[in-house]
Amino acid sequence: MDAVEGIPPAVTEETEAFWAAAAEGRLVVERCDDCGAESFPPRGMCRSCRSRSLSPAEVTGRGRVYSYTVNYQRWTPDLEVPFAIGLVEFPAHPGVRVVGRLRGRDPEDVRVDDEVEIGFEPGPGGYAIPSFTVVGRGQAAGQAG
Amino acid sequence: MGVDDFERKVVISGVGQSAIGRQVPRSGLQLTLDAITAAVADAGLVLDDIDGLAMFPGGGAANLPGYANGYLYEVQDALGLTTRWRQGQVEGMSLPFYGPAQAVATGQARHAVVWRTVKEGSAARGAGGRPAYGSTKPLAEGPMAWWLPLGALSPVCHVAPYATRYMHEYGVTREQLAWIPVTQRAHAALNPDAVYRTPLTVDEYLTSRMISSPICLYDCDVPADGSTAIVVSAMGTAPDLRAPVRIEAMAGVIDDRPSWDQWRDMGRVGYATAAAMWQRTDLRPADVDVAQIYDGFTIEAVWWLEAMGFCGTGEAGDFVEGGERISLGGDLPMNTWGGQLSGGRLHAGFGHTAEAVRQLRGEAGDRQVDHAEVAAVTNVGGFEAGAAILTRF
Ligand SMILES: [Zn+2]
Repeated sequence: MDAVEGIPPAVTEETEAFWAAAAEGRLVVERCDDCGAESFPPRGMCRSCRSRSLSPAEVTGRGRVYSYTVNYQRWTPDLEVPFAIGLVEFPAHPGVRVVGRLRGRDPEDVRVDDEVEIGFEPGPGGYAIPSFTVVGRGQAAGQAG
Repeated sequence: MGVDDFERKVVISGVGQSAIGRQVPRSGLQLTLDAITAAVADAGLVLDDIDGLAMFPGGGAANLPGYANGYLYEVQDALGLTTRWRQGQVEGMSLPFYGPAQAVATGQARHAVVWRTVKEGSAARGAGGRPAYGSTKPLAEGPMAWWLPLGALSPVCHVAPYATRYMHEYGVTREQLAWIPVTQRAHAALNPDAVYRTPLTVDEYLTSRMISSPICLYDCDVPADGSTAIVVSAMGTAPDLRAPVRIEAMAGVIDDRPSWDQWRDMGRVGYATAAAMWQRTDLRPADVDVAQIYDGFTIEAVWWLEAMGFCGTGEAGDFVEGGERISLGGDLPMNTWGGQLSGGRLHAGFGHTAEAVRQLRGEAGDRQVDHAEVAAVTNVGGFEAGAAILTRF
């Protein structure tokens, strides 16, 4: 599969760990050494206790689509459309929401609360970009967990 | 109201605009000079009265193609002025007149002019479509590092999930929200300076091209060329001014994660700003005669209708359905110049402010709202949000 057309990220001191892990197919966020809070995107300061002592922590398990969009506009000549973009949250990791492509289902059949598996795909500049696989329909209200 | 009601120490004294259109074959600098000259004359002032200059954005900020024009130092040089206060705005752009009001209220300037000049219409023609990130950005920096590598190359893609979530939570439909662009198009028909003036129907809206779902073509503002300038003056100069307008209250609060993707409750935007603004006045939403609320996308107007208390949370669909309430003769005539959806993407609340001032003066021509004494102006939403009440002097 060809790389997604886009603009490569400017990698910084704060985001280096994320992109390095992405290349290995792992999703890492910042975890506070002092209070344990997890956060994304990385800021180098804990948003809960303002500690500067943070370590990369891997997020595993299923995520849930908080919201999404299906993009139809060919913003650049080589952009393949349509594609779905999702804002994915992780019930076991409050404070973490990651934007990524959504695949594994017709983009027009994606819904809020759909369950996804963590994944990545080739993106611009040789970077691996978040690309979640939709694996299940969201549970009805009251059955979330 | 309190001792810090600095906005009462100033007035909006003038508004002026260049030619506005899909493409206007003049440079950004010439459009800017047209707008400033018109705004200063509109205030009843002369250019030598101006001692403060501000623009949005500042710093020649590289952004979308055609986004930044009319550089401050070139404008000052062209006008041959001495300035005591200058400002380039992006962060803190909660309202076009916010910074100038701070400067004038604190005596740093007596008459400050702020402008916003766009050439995004020309940029769109050059690029063969709506301007997107790309040509001006070799690398995706800062918050864009999480969006642009995915191919989400336009603000449309960044705002669309808000609309998805809002419609999911509150059961509001595209059939209902269609009435915002449809009604604003009817208003634009009465505005000779609007970009799109031919009637739009709900059917045309519903069958139009999807851009980034659920945002369709007619949910997007119109890339345009044009400049808007606004003059803010010290209250003490009011006797010298042609037709000043009061700033009753204004506020811009950021109370959540300032990021398009990390904002926590995407169904509710602008609430902290609206609440802070209403705390600064005894006026209530029911007192508002005309609303110029930000509409970069239809969903942004929805945020403001609800955050400002014109209707309840999740009720905007019912509020706008059929269009009567938000039309010229309705309870809350909204975006009477056509808004950015039909009037043109003059951006950052500049077109909205100009229209509010004209309505309060009774100078809005065929689209004049009867007895307009109180106007609401809001700008953007999410992490930069501004809300104000302007009143007849
Ligand atoms: Zn902590």
